[in-house]
Amino acid sequence: MKKILSILLPILLFAGTICAITAEEILAKVDENMNAGTVKSTARMIVETRRATRTMSSVSYAKGTDTAFTEYTAPAREKGTKMLKIKDDLWLYNPSTDRVIQISGNMLKQSVMGSDLSYEDFMEEIELAEAYIATMLEDKIYDERRCYVLDLMAKTENLAYSRRVIYVDKERMVPLYQELYAKSGKKLKTMRLSKVTKIKGRWYPLQVVFKDELKSGNGTTMIIDEISFDIDIPDHYFTKAVLRK
Amino acid sequence: MLLKLALKRIAGNGWRSVFNILILFLVLMGMLFIQGMYDGWMRTARRQKEEWEIGAGHFEHSNYDKYDSFTFKDSFAKIPDHIQELIRQNEVVPILVFSGVLYPQGRMTPISIKGIPWDQALLKIPSQMLRVKDEYPGSLPTVIGQDMARTNGLSQGDLVSMRFKDARGVFNAYDIEIVKVMATPVSSIDESQVWIDFTVLNSLVALQNSATLFILKDEATQLNLGSNWRYISQKKSLEDVLAMMKADQAGGYVVIALLLFLAMIAIFDTQILAVFKRRKEIGTLIALGMTRRQIIRLFTYEGCLYMVFGTILTAILGLPLFIHLGTKGIPLPQELSNLNVGGFSETMKSYYDPLTILFMLIMVFVLTLFASWLPAAKIARMKATQALRGKV
Repeated sequence: MKKILSILLPILLFAGTICAITAEEILAKVDENMNAGTVKSTARMIVETRRATRTMSSVSYAKGTDTAFTEYTAPAREKGTKMLKIKDDLWLYNPSTDRVIQISGNMLKQSVMGSDLSYEDFMEEIELAEAYIATMLEDKIYDERRCYVLDLMAKTENLAYSRRVIYVDKERMVPLYQELYAKSGKKLKTMRLSKVTKIKGRWYPLQVVFKDELKSGNGTTMIIDEISFDIDIPDHYFTKAVLRK
Repeated sequence: MLLKLALKRIAGNGWRSVFNILILFLVLMGMLFIQGMYDGWMRTARRQKEEWEIGAGHFEHSNYDKYDSFTFKDSFAKIPDHIQELIRQNEVVPILVFSGVLYPQGRMTPISIKGIPWDQALLKIPSQMLRVKDEYPGSLPTVIGQDMARTNGLSQGDLVSMRFKDARGVFNAYDIEIVKVMATPVSSIDESQVWIDFTVLNSLVALQNSATLFILKDEATQLNLGSNWRYISQKKSLEDVLAMMKADQAGGYVVIALLLFLAMIAIFDTQILAVFKRRKEIGTLIALGMTRRQIIRLFTYEGCLYMVFGTILTAILGLPLFIHLGTKGIPLPQELSNLNVGGFSETMKSYYDPLTILFMLIMVFVLTLFASWLPAAKIARMKATQALRGKV
């Protein structure tokens, strides 16, 4: 018996090692699900403040992580407002003034239409596997799903969030919860992702609740009503000319 | 003889002379009060800016634009070695400027974060309160201005979160404690600004001994910091404040002009009336051999004497008032001093520049002379016979 065990145990341990997924692989799978060549989406942003709840609808187009264009379609007050991001630059078009302004400096720190998202957050689009070194923590159950918990530390010293903690659905390889930290260790933002749906072979969360942990309120909910991946988006959507059209 | 005659005439004019002198007294008082208050305001504003913000001049990083916080992230450089020595001698104060966000009562508000050495003694900012005693304090001691405190509902002892990006673009956040709400009269170091220790800010933003501004104790005549830095003289720094005051002072000049106009009308009227009433006397004087020039001089002396008496009355009655205004000042209502306008403080003191006073006296004197000369010049042209018959 001892002999059998001494032969089987190393084999079982080796098999376990080669079957266990690494933190880097988890991140790569998350990136695979969350990022696409091009994305077109129709979404609603629900901002809850102390006084009222406001809903804003928008259509967005994105190409990779560098370029994105969003046009607000409702309510009437925000209709026609457009936002264009090209690499590190962000422009905003306001139809009431018919002017295009570049969002810069302190303005980048301001909240987007009263939400928990700042313009800076719109600029943050990265591939996690490329940007962070991941360490696996103890698995947890989150939102009734078994999750890997990864502690991500920035690989470089110039990443906006130097640390993230991310809960990844073991089965669908989609993040369900994220905590974003400041260099000091203070928790800055949390993201709760839900309504994970399979779209064209990939799992994708259709609802995200952003919460600025330093700000009061219940956070901002983003609900994606329609989304399509890897479609043809004409290049003119990512030029400044589109803002005034 | 003419002066004696003029004095006699002034005494003979009775109440009319008293009113003339009173009007001149009031005009001089009004003019000196207005000009004194403006000069006092300007001096106070200049002194306050110097004491709280600009020193005798300053160097700023060539990328720095105080009106564009977008420039802050590129507006710093290592302190040059020769400046380091001046900082130790308290001849120069370095300031590092970054932008961030404050969360008072859970709201987001953009701010400028300014780092100043806690042990500096050049500026009036209460920087001693910024000293960090523990290596890793739970919250960072900060000083804010009264305007910043009021607009954000903050007060001394409050704890509030502050978020910012360091020099590499990484988010950082700390809880700060408001250890002091400074009552500064200079809004440009108050509005949307948070002051923390210079070394602490350097370490928070991943820098070492870097600065955006150097405030100087004395004017920089020999100092050379290289092409990274630009010298801004005190005069240049004050341009905006002085331009605003000068625009406001224009209104004061209109009031002074009106006062002068009223005074001249009063003197002119008195002299016209005197000429009309005294035409027979003038005729007699001409018949007795007085020349045209002497007649004019008589009436001009009269006008000048009004001015002299008005000045004496202003000196006697006005001096105590002006001394009081210059030393004790006028207490301003809280709402006005809360406006945070340069030079507006709890009490507003006036300042009297001897040259300005002299200029005003000369101006009133010349105008009085003109108002007295004009009617006399007309009467002096008539013939003695016509004057004796009262035909002017």
